[in-house]
Amino acid sequence: MGRQIVHRLLISMPALLGVLFLCFVLLQVAPADPAMIIAGPDAKQETVDAIRKELGLDQPIFVQFAKYITRVAQGDLGRSIISNKRVIEELASTIGPTVELMLGAMLIAVPLGMTLGTMAAVRRGSFVDRLIMAFSVAGVSTPVFFVGLILIQYVGFKWALLPFTGRTGPVWDGGLPSLILPALTLGAVLIGPISRLTRTAVLEVLGADFVRTARAKGLRESVVIVHHALRNALIPVVTLIGLQAAFLLGGAVVTETMFSWPGVGRLAVGAIISSDFPTAQGAIMILAMAFLMINLIVDVLYVFLDPRVQRG
Amino acid sequence: MSVQAVSGEAPVEAARAPSGRAHVLRRLMRDKVAFGAATVLGVVILAAVFAPWVAPFDPYLTDLSKAMVPPNEINWLGTDNTGRDILSRLIFGARNTLMMGLVGVLIGGMVGGTLGIMAAFYRRLDGWIMRLVDVMLAFPAILIGLAVAAIFGAGLTAVVIALVVADIPGTARVSRGAAMGVMGQEFIEAGRAVGVSDFTLIWRYLALNCVSTIFVFLTLRFGQTILVGSALGFLGMGAQPPTAELGMMAAQGRDFLFMAPHIATFPSLAIFIIVLAANLLGDALRDVLDPRLQT
Repeated sequence: MGRQIVHRLLISMPALLGVLFLCFVLLQVAPADPAMIIAGPDAKQETVDAIRKELGLDQPIFVQFAKYITRVAQGDLGRSIISNKRVIEELASTIGPTVELMLGAMLIAVPLGMTLGTMAAVRRGSFVDRLIMAFSVAGVSTPVFFVGLILIQYVGFKWALLPFTGRTGPVWDGGLPSLILPALTLGAVLIGPISRLTRTAVLEVLGADFVRTARAKGLRESVVIVHHALRNALIPVVTLIGLQAAFLLGGAVVTETMFSWPGVGRLAVGAIISSDFPTAQGAIMILAMAFLMINLIVDVLYVFLDPRVQRG
Repeated sequence: MSVQAVSGEAPVEAARAPSGRAHVLRRLMRDKVAFGAATVLGVVILAAVFAPWVAPFDPYLTDLSKAMVPPNEINWLGTDNTGRDILSRLIFGARNTLMMGLVGVLIGGMVGGTLGIMAAFYRRLDGWIMRLVDVMLAFPAILIGLAVAAIFGAGLTAVVIALVVADIPGTARVSRGAAMGVMGQEFIEAGRAVGVSDFTLIWRYLALNCVSTIFVFLTLRFGQTILVGSALGFLGMGAQPPTAELGMMAAQGRDFLFMAPHIATFPSLAIFIIVLAANLLGDALRDVLDPRLQT
């Protein structure tokens, strides 16, 4: 298993290098000169030149890229043009809330989506099945912000049940109420695809020999479904979560902006609007790396869940 | 011996025959959901194309005396914070939103399709192209949108570029898969044997046999492309005021959510309806044209 994980890590390296290169290029092709932005609009040419030299912008592009990788490896992502804080510090304070939001969304979407998908599969062709599938198609067609707007308007404002702006703190320190609405918004759009795939996977497994054997042994139907069918249907569902990682990240950016959630996505959007290139570059890089990381975790989970992958 | 005689023409025709246009249309018309979805999408597209004639009011005409009026018999969907008619803005906004989605899937599909087919045809290019695709897949569409907006500034162009780039890797993978299947067939080998040029083999035989798979995939992507485009619009990376675009309109309405919820609700609802219709139609088309793509 260790070998497979190392192999998977090695496969991720070109993608990681690609991400770093694209983030590097981002700053190179930006129409605004970073040195001039840092120096300010009234700065003298000598000051701009000095900053350019300090940043290494006067060197050949490959040298700059090599230096950029070295700097990133050392955690040096530059300074924010707006706050003058180190970008790595800005990112460090925003990663936690983003991870919290994503985990919260998954905790809502995965159990609910799998339950709905299993119900639909067990009652295939019934009204319940059609209803769940209609809900699933509606789910994949709903913009994240639409769900958010409805929740803010009703649950947050009209009924005043839960807070809908900002984050009051970590979950373990009284922050749970402020997490519920953003997590529900992000999770709601994932329920559809998860339930749809679970239905397909459970239907496939329900026809397998081992399920027939389990039934023939006289096991209760609930045991057959939960222990035999659902457990085996987990594999494609885990794969789907990997495939939905892009969706999850994109949704997180929108959700964070809507609920003023202090995460990496909101930081990125704010940095772009205020032309804070180093912060935008750092935030985009972290989000892309998070995407690679989620896919890596999914692949490793896959090895754990499916013994056939270990043998193969 | 002509290539047609070898079997070049036959597979293309064979692939076309069972899924001819009339046959596909007949099957789609029989499916009530698909028919409903196609009707809704058709009406939206027609309204968007003929927006200047269909819209009841000028979408840019402000009238502060009529600001935030709820739906009524004159302004069917009410007015926004500057008194502009929301229905008229929705019709014009749908134009921009549909255009974004369409350009995204068309150009992204063409580039991605070409890359995938090239990867399948020239095996020595396969590794390089697929690694490039992997790197592109590491950038979720929203991130590409943010990056492009960071470079060129927010605007419709930035969103369209992002959507094009985002649609390339998926299409490349699907078309490579389809092309690999076609490459294994005898008529390609026969074509090579009689000296047909690579250009003809790729475009006349390989691409033609992959078109239906790529088309179905892009139909399914269309809804998602619109969702990403409107999300970028919502984040302020897309069309800039006063241009009407559904995502941006929803974002503007958010500021008045508690006083006039209809300003944000109608554009969001419009996006939902368009994407739902596109997804349902895509699903039906897939069932008719290429059931193998089913998950």
